[in-house]
Amino acid sequence: MSPLRELQAGFRAALLRGDDARVAREVADDGIRAAARVAIYRHHVFTSLTAALEATYPVVTRLVDRRFFGWAVDGYIRAHPPAGPCLFEYGAQLPDYLAAFPACADLPWLADIARLEWAMNVALHAPDAEPLGADAWRALDAAALARLTVRADPSITLLASRWPVDAIWRANQSGGDGVVDLDRGAVQLQVQRVGDDVVLRALGPAAFAFRSALAAGATLQEATEQMFEIDARVALADEIRAVLDEQMLVAG
Amino acid sequence: MQSSGCGIGLRSPHVQQVEAQRPAIPWLEVHAENYMGGGPAVRSLERLRADYPLSVHGVGLSLGSAEGIDAAHLDRLVRLVDRLEPALVSEHLSWSVSADVYLNHLLPLPYTDETLGVLADNVGRAQDRLGRRLLIENPSGYLRFHRSPIAEPEFLNALASRTGCGVLCDVNNVYVTCANLGGDATAWLDALDAATVGEIHLAGHAGNDADGHTVLIDDHGSPVAPAVWALFEHALQRFGARPTLIEWDTDVPPLDVLLDEAAKAQRRLARTASVAAA
Repeated sequence: MSPLRELQAGFRAALLRGDDARVAREVADDGIRAAARVAIYRHHVFTSLTAALEATYPVVTRLVDRRFFGWAVDGYIRAHPPAGPCLFEYGAQLPDYLAAFPACADLPWLADIARLEWAMNVALHAPDAEPLGADAWRALDAAALARLTVRADPSITLLASRWPVDAIWRANQSGGDGVVDLDRGAVQLQVQRVGDDVVLRALGPAAFAFRSALAAGATLQEATEQMFEIDARVALADEIRAVLDEQMLVAG
Repeated sequence: MQSSGCGIGLRSPHVQQVEAQRPAIPWLEVHAENYMGGGPAVRSLERLRADYPLSVHGVGLSLGSAEGIDAAHLDRLVRLVDRLEPALVSEHLSWSVSADVYLNHLLPLPYTDETLGVLADNVGRAQDRLGRRLLIENPSGYLRFHRSPIAEPEFLNALASRTGCGVLCDVNNVYVTCANLGGDATAWLDALDAATVGEIHLAGHAGNDADGHTVLIDDHGSPVAPAVWALFEHALQRFGARPTLIEWDTDVPPLDVLLDEAAKAQRRLARTASVAAA
């Protein structure tokens, strides 16, 4: 390994694992110990990444309090440091990390709140895509329509939770009262960017199954079958119209 | 871009106000990595660029990485620059990536022949893909490597002559580095090749304790310090007027405060320009 590459690997170990030994040998010890100088860099790395995660997960931060959040994400940053410099893409695994984090075991809904905030973050920054309009659908005959695969607009996440995470999220916006009846039960949500805004829509179980299947790449026929398994009385035409009106799909 | 103009870093708390009021600012700087997705942020910038020259300032290319730069990230930068057509594009004399981990800091480099070779390769590759000249910014230093035989301004001079890149001279960083590592900030500026300087940065810094000593931290969280204004005036005498930027990234103040700070730099730039014209 080249000396510079070796030095950078040592610096990475010092920043993420606190393993200063390799890099401290390379650093001048003039008045301030080498370890204290490296700590200046480590401090910035952790505070700036913690701030980035707070910005992406403001409701989670508020629910557990900032100091607890900082402590919880310290281990996350070590285990899952960023893979790239666009910090709006950092933090995808935090919901799963919190779900397995022992100190959060008393907050069973917390990971799903994090999943909702990640979905909203994805919606805000997703690339702009051309929706599949009604004209494109009209051009297809019945056989082509049954075979058609589509994908969801890249801003969309379909999210199911056994907790009323949309109500929890709204209650924790500024001006919210922070009070939620957890017995309201499960929700199925569609998170999507519409224009410049991120929109949260609550869906029924059948519509959620239909849209989730389409978003996962199922054919229209397969998606319809999955919807009818949940509720055979749903009017398919209405569901398709809603999907088109909401500009949910782009060509697959 | 007019060399006598002082721009400001456009930060999210000010975007709506700048869009609505269109204050008289010679140019706006944005961090490249904040605009590499889709959505409202990029759309807003596309509207603003009709009225303001832009500077795209990258913080994530990691030009000092011995393992080379990330081709996918360079592609994203190229697409952004093609879309925004900025007047200036800049990056840093630092590294942030090791073994595909992005460490979110402008980390220090030993100034050796090996490092110069790495920088020259990476800057050359980036400039080839961008089809334009990059300005490379001197970082704030908090440590010195035992083996770093080339002085920082000489290292930048050599990099500029090897690659044709320009230098973004961050005067606050010069001040912070010299205070932290023992050096004469005026001599630092005097050693830099004036012809390579394409832009100047100004910002505030803070003082923190480390091992019982005060260390200056380049936190961009306060007004420009009096000593840095003095150093800026020296830089203008040395380099002539250059596009100058006020950076304010933490504890971001109301826009008016930032514009007042830019006006202070603007007055000094105007004096330099009028002396040069006389």
